[in-house]
Amino acid sequence: MKLKESVVAIRKISQVALLGMGMMTLPLANADESSCSPFTPLVKGQEDFVYVWTLGVKGIGDESDKLVTVDVNPKSKAYGKVIAKTSVGGRGEAHHMGFTDDRKFMWAGALDSNKIFIFDVATNPAKPKLVKTINNFVPKTGLVGPHTFYATPGRMVVAALSNAKDHGGQTGLAVYTNAGEHVATYPMPTTNGGDGFGYDVAINPNKNAMLTTAFTGWNNYMADLGKLVKDPEAMKQFGNTTVMWDYKSMKPLKIFNTPGAALEARWSFKPGDNWAVTTTALTSNIFVYKQDDKGEWQQHKVGTIGDPAKIPLPVDIALIPDGKGMWVNTFMDGTTRFWDMTDPLNPKETYTKKIGSQVNMVSPSFDGTRVYYTTSLLGNWDMKGKADEQFLKMYHWDGKELKPGFEIDFYKEKLGRAHHMKFQVRDLKTLQPLQATVESKTKFASN
Amino acid sequence: MRVIFYLFILFMIVAVLYMAVALLNKSGNTYEPYSKEDALGLPAMTIPEDNPLTAEKVALGRKLFMDRRLSQNNTISCAMCHVPEQGFVVNEIATAVGLEGRTHKRNAPTIFNVGYYKHLFHDGREFSLENQIIGPLLAENEMGNPSIGFVIEKINSFPDYQGLFEQAFDGQKANLERVNLAIASYERTMVSGNSRFDQWYFGKNEKALNEREINGFRLFSGKANCISCHTINKDSALFTDQSFHNTGAGWSRNNKVLSNLVKKEASKHTFPVSLAPGITVEVANDHFDKASETPKNDVGRFEVTSNPDDSWLYKTPSLRNIELTAPYMHDGSLRTLESVVDFYNVGGEDNPYKDQRMVPLGLTQEEKADLVAFMNALTGSNVKRLEKEAREAYFEAPVP
Ligand code: HEC
Ligand code: HEC
Repeated sequence: MKLKESVVAIRKISQVALLGMGMMTLPLANADESSCSPFTPLVKGQEDFVYVWTLGVKGIGDESDKLVTVDVNPKSKAYGKVIAKTSVGGRGEAHHMGFTDDRKFMWAGALDSNKIFIFDVATNPAKPKLVKTINNFVPKTGLVGPHTFYATPGRMVVAALSNAKDHGGQTGLAVYTNAGEHVATYPMPTTNGGDGFGYDVAINPNKNAMLTTAFTGWNNYMADLGKLVKDPEAMKQFGNTTVMWDYKSMKPLKIFNTPGAALEARWSFKPGDNWAVTTTALTSNIFVYKQDDKGEWQQHKVGTIGDPAKIPLPVDIALIPDGKGMWVNTFMDGTTRFWDMTDPLNPKETYTKKIGSQVNMVSPSFDGTRVYYTTSLLGNWDMKGKADEQFLKMYHWDGKELKPGFEIDFYKEKLGRAHHMKFQVRDLKTLQPLQATVESKTKFASN
Repeated sequence: MRVIFYLFILFMIVAVLYMAVALLNKSGNTYEPYSKEDALGLPAMTIPEDNPLTAEKVALGRKLFMDRRLSQNNTISCAMCHVPEQGFVVNEIATAVGLEGRTHKRNAPTIFNVGYYKHLFHDGREFSLENQIIGPLLAENEMGNPSIGFVIEKINSFPDYQGLFEQAFDGQKANLERVNLAIASYERTMVSGNSRFDQWYFGKNEKALNEREINGFRLFSGKANCISCHTINKDSALFTDQSFHNTGAGWSRNNKVLSNLVKKEASKHTFPVSLAPGITVEVANDHFDKASETPKNDVGRFEVTSNPDDSWLYKTPSLRNIELTAPYMHDGSLRTLESVVDFYNVGGEDNPYKDQRMVPLGLTQEEKADLVAFMNALTGSNVKRLEKEAREAYFEAPVP
């Protein structure tokens, strides 16, 4: 063996050893980057772009749903400006997005039209290109309202909200290949205490565990919020369960009673942590999921957000990288709240700030120092008239206070309602490697 | 010779008869969409001369009824608001939600036995099923098509409709009239009688109803006087007088709440919101105002006639299959039959235009329960079959 070769060999060995160590500590990435799947490489430094999935509004600009790209790199001349927009046609209730496991493509869903738009965000990240529209979601799955797009190796898990027979809350999960081919559909459980409702999905590969939450069907999420809350029958049609699944076999392990529509599901991404968190929209509670000594998943009600009697509607949540904190937005009062999660079973609210007349999504950068907010919850749940502010706002967070960075008024810019955000970098080579281990990646490759 | 002549005559008679039968067959007069038994308790239906029932038309109408592509954005079929498995209404919401989630101020009625109505819609603004269909196809808050031509062109372009209109309509393609004829034909086959009440009352089967239900019937046609509007005739019962009345339902929502509560005062009043089973909070009336559109007013039949005497008059609905079609009244404001009986027991809602028959009834708890038991015995025997036939016609295709 020549010297050069042996150096390479040593390097290889040390790489393998490092990987092995990675496997032992099993770090699980889930910053917001926080809603990203652990199978997706992350932006750990300065994000260059924020993509905002924007709902078309009658009377505003081209009235069409669109993907808006904002330059967010402070070194850039276009910092804080919209640099691209791609209209996809129609008003289909644009909602959430998710990257494929290589972060080269981004899936963006519409809860009414049931279309799924696949954007190429790698060839030119500054100008995403619509490369495919999945228009057979309903005929393939019978489901309505493709909500969450969660990457697994070579696959996309799509969690839906409703169904095409009655637009009620009975729904399921669908699995697609990265190329957009339907693979399988799994109904949300309706036995052993399951109520068949669905919303979000989050996977912990280290524990082979998948947590799903439960919202409501088309009849409710598309309806005017004022009409809905005054209809007692409709108010019965919200999910009151969460489900821990065996991810590999896609079988429910345990069904929890989680009253009042649990929305976003997040796993802590701190190495060694294996707990998940969700909040309930109607009852304003925080629930944490942890295994007990016997390895059985248990649900703990650990906190109350705002005054639940006033129905503040906690909506998006985001964990920060060290698992020590969580942002929670309450829609009705437009307020963001920071919760100290150092002890996840005894979290404490330590900071609140009003962001606007309404606020839905919150996305902190990986290091937590930048926090982005958008406003839209659902086309017909958003405030009406003057209170219907629609913006993207960026703040700096020093651990104590949010200080304004930049702001884009989505109505002034004739864009529409600002909803889900995703970060991207100009140079995809700077993305950090998978946080889920190589082992777990290969283990789940067949799903 | 004579024998041959008679044989010839006989042959001619047989031939003519055969041809007549064949002709009748072709015009569909022998098609029977439902059995005599299914219709026990129901009168003969008037079928328009220019739209005789045929198997092809009915099957086509059913397919159109179930087809979500008939809406502007391919999400709303007639059946999304008239859901087969929910008594051909939506049990889960008070008033309908249409295209892009737009609010409809009224509760979707069932299409069971809809072929017997002289007036359609809660305010009776339409008279024929054929014409009625244009309403939902174009209404911005129902199926929201930009024009009739738009939806017709679409239907003609769908591969799964190839030949269906041609078969049903002598080789002709889809147009507005033929869409209407087909859906109306299907709706006329939604006959659903032969309930346990029918078996008891018209079929003379004494055991079909129990004591409680029989007592409920006595109250219905006696002390409670429901029968004065929800008619039962000697040979048949539609449970409607085909007329319009002011029961007071919806009156206060349109008057007191909007006019008497000044904005400032609204926050002092609360309404209950159920957040989860067993968790209800009282919320200030104006708490959600910023996130609400202004509720639409509803003046009932006045909206059709402009006659002040018609204010808050609504069509008397049939009570057949009533246990399947909650919620009740034009605004879906009553969620159970128990609450409907409570409503009548206090004489409906007081207002200056209230029907004189709406008086406090003085029913005991027992009597109220008996009335409800009676109404629960009005469910047709073929409901499951009608449900199933509708669902079998349901079809999803990739959308453009
Ligand atoms: C968005 C929900 C919605 C859709 C879609 C819809 N309907 Fe309706 N339907 C209603 C409502 C609400 C009413 C009552 C409206 C009123 O009284 O003003 C109604 C009334 C009717 C009636 C009158 C029934 C009666 O008792 O008077 C018929 C018949 C009917 N619909 C058939 C149809 C057909 C056929 C279609 C499809 C072409 C359709 N509907 C689509 C909600 C809907
Ligand atoms: C003065 C005429 C009148 C009388 C008497 C009357 N009803 Fe009604 N009923 C109506 C009208 C009109 C409606 C529709 C009201 C609306 O849509 O707001 C109705 C609606 C109903 C409904 C709801 C139907 C549906 O599909 O939403 C039920 C159930 C009902 N009545 C039962 C009864 C019972 C039981 C009695 C006797 C206690 C009774 N009614 C007496 C006229 C009457």
